[in-house]
Order: sequence, then structure tokens, then C-alpha cells
Amino acid sequence: MKTDAELVASARRGSQDACRELVRRFERPVYSLVLRMVRDPAAAEDLAQEVFVKAFRRLDTYDERWKLSSWLFKIAHNTTIDHLRRGGPETVSLEAEEGDDRGGGGLGAVLADAAAEDPHVQAERRDLARSLEKAIGGLRPEYRQAVLMFYAHGASYQDICEVTGLPLGTVKTNLHRARKELAEAMTFLGWGPPGTAAG
Amino acid sequence: MRPSPHDALVRWLAAEREDHPQAEETAETALLELFESLPLVAPPAGFADRVLFRAGIDRRDPFASLWARLVLAAALLATSLGVLWLPATLRAARALLPTWSLSDVVQSGVRALVEGVEGLASVLQVWNLLLTIVRAVAQPLAVPQVMAILLGCLIASALAFRFLRDQISGERNWTHVDSI
Repeated sequence: MKTDAELVASARRGSQDACRELVRRFERPVYSLVLRMVRDPAAAEDLAQEVFVKAFRRLDTYDERWKLSSWLFKIAHNTTIDHLRRGGPETVSLEAEEGDDRGGGGLGAVLADAAAEDPHVQAERRDLARSLEKAIGGLRPEYRQAVLMFYAHGASYQDICEVTGLPLGTVKTNLHRARKELAEAMTFLGWGPPGTAAG
Repeated sequence: MRPSPHDALVRWLAAEREDHPQAEETAETALLELFESLPLVAPPAGFADRVLFRAGIDRRDPFASLWARLVLAAALLATSLGVLWLPATLRAARALLPTWSLSDVVQSGVRALVEGVEGLASVLQVWNLLLTIVRAVAQPLAVPQVMAILLGCLIASALAFRFLRDQISGERNWTHVDSI
């Protein structure tokens, strides 16, 4: 299997196969990040496509000292933040997509590898995933981005600094506050210890 | 079987309520475990194709399919055979059409060429005439006064057109709307 650097070199020489392989290799992390940021499968696909198109057009400017995933996340970050600032529709909740997994954007994907599980555990996992998605969706975009990159995509503090352009202290503060807000939201949604749920 | 994310959730929320430095680390680890219950979501099928198409990279090779290559090879083979057989074919044709000599063929070819050139010359004459007309019309337009008058006429006609359209649509509104 070719490394990312080899694929980038081939793509720079105009290899269509290399470009296709790059998309296939990074489509899931990029699409997942964008989807959880904008919470609308149709907009997420459009934005994720835009991320790759921008990446191919700027492939000559890619600095190989960066991880390719970090560079793509940086483009994804700028693209989604621009979309959210333009007032893009952030109204279609993933929670509302229950039972509607068209195009792979729904929460059913969460259970893709859980077919062999006990139905009770499956149901619990599904409910928890849905609540977590909802809680993430309630965060401010900059917190949401940091949480998704750090916890869902395994990015380091340094990666997040490079992607968002924020100093290390701010990134750590954002992550800490985001985690606290997530905990409050999950408690509010009824996942806290007995007697702590609101409403 | 994957571990239940509920355990991670309980540990995370419990750690968030505690107030000592070790709890921070516990909360972070538990939340990382919890996020494992949110696997990466795949985009809809055909995503890569759509990206390549949108980026203008998906330029398909017209000879990518085996059939296209076979047809191309057959065409090349037929052409080369044609070249090999051309002298013999010409000789056979001359034998079949004895009244047509080679000079007749050359003569008719030259005649067709001359007629084609003459046709092209007449087209060029028409083009030249059109150019003369355009130049004659454009010459007065270079004078600022003429241009100003023309511009005035254009504005007046645009306003008149607008007025006429308003009149017509206004009249239509009054006469063609059913009374409620």
C-alpha cells in the first residue's frame, strides 16, 4: 500500500488513480467531521466534496512536514466554519434522521458493526450515540471542532493548534470547557446519576 | 464484542463531578472511550467519483475499454491493408473503367480544386463588402456628437419601451382579472 506522501506525489503528477485513492483514504474522517459540524447530510456531502476539490487545487502548496490528515482537517475546518458563518442551515438535527440512513449520513451507521450484539445493548448504544450527537451539536462551533478532532479523530493538541490557528492554551481551555458543557448536556438528557436529569 | 459505552459514560460523568487533578485525566480517558461508540460515518456511495468529477480530474480515457481498443486496432489494420492494396485496386479500377485515364482523374481533381478556390474567393468578397459597410457605419460613431445623439435615442427608446410595457401590463391587470 502506498504511503500518503507517495500518493500526493503521484496526484501532483496528475494521476487520477492516486487522487481517487486519496479521497477513499480520507473520505470517512473528513465527511464525519463535516457532518457532525453542520449536522445536515446533504450540506455535509457538498462541503466534504469542496474540501477535497480545494485540496487537489492546492496540492502544490501542501507542506509535507504536516500530516496529510491535519492538512485536510485544516481545509475542512475553514470550509465548515465559513459555511456556518454564512448562516448555512444548521437546523437539520441528526437526531431527526432516526430511521433515515439514506446516504450513510444517519445514526444507523453507528450500529454498523453491532449486528451481533444483544438487542438491549444495541438499543442502549443507539440511544447513547444519539444523545452524544445531540450534545455535540449543542456546542459552539469552535468547541465542537476541538472535541470532534481530539476525541473522535484522535488529533493531538498540536494538530488542533495547526488546524484552527489557535494557541495551545486556548485549545486546551476550549477542550476543557467543551467537555464540561458536554457533561452538563448529557446529564440534562438523562444520562447522569439518578436525580440529576433536568426536565 | 465491544465494551459497553455506558460504563465509560458513568466514569466520565462521575469524574466531572470530582474536583481533583486526577479526575481530569480520568474524565478525558473515559470520554475518549465513549467516543469510540461514535464510529466514522461513510459518505454516500460514489463520493470519490463525484469529487473527481467536480475537481475536473475525472477525464475518462476514450480508449480505456477493450472494445474501443479493438475497434481502433481493426481500423488501423484496414488502413494499412488499404495502402498495400491501393496500386492493385487502382489498376483494377482502370481496367474496369477504360474510358477514364489517369490524366482525366487528375484533371477533374484540379478542376474541383479551382472551383473550390473560386467559391472561397466569392465568400471573401462578400466578407469584404460587409466590412466596408461596418466601417461606413462605424465612422460617424467615432464623432462624439453622433454618439451622444445615438445614446440619447437609445435611452429614449428604452424608456418608451418600458412605458409601453407598463401600459400594456397595467391594462391587462384591469381587464383580465376576475372580480372577486
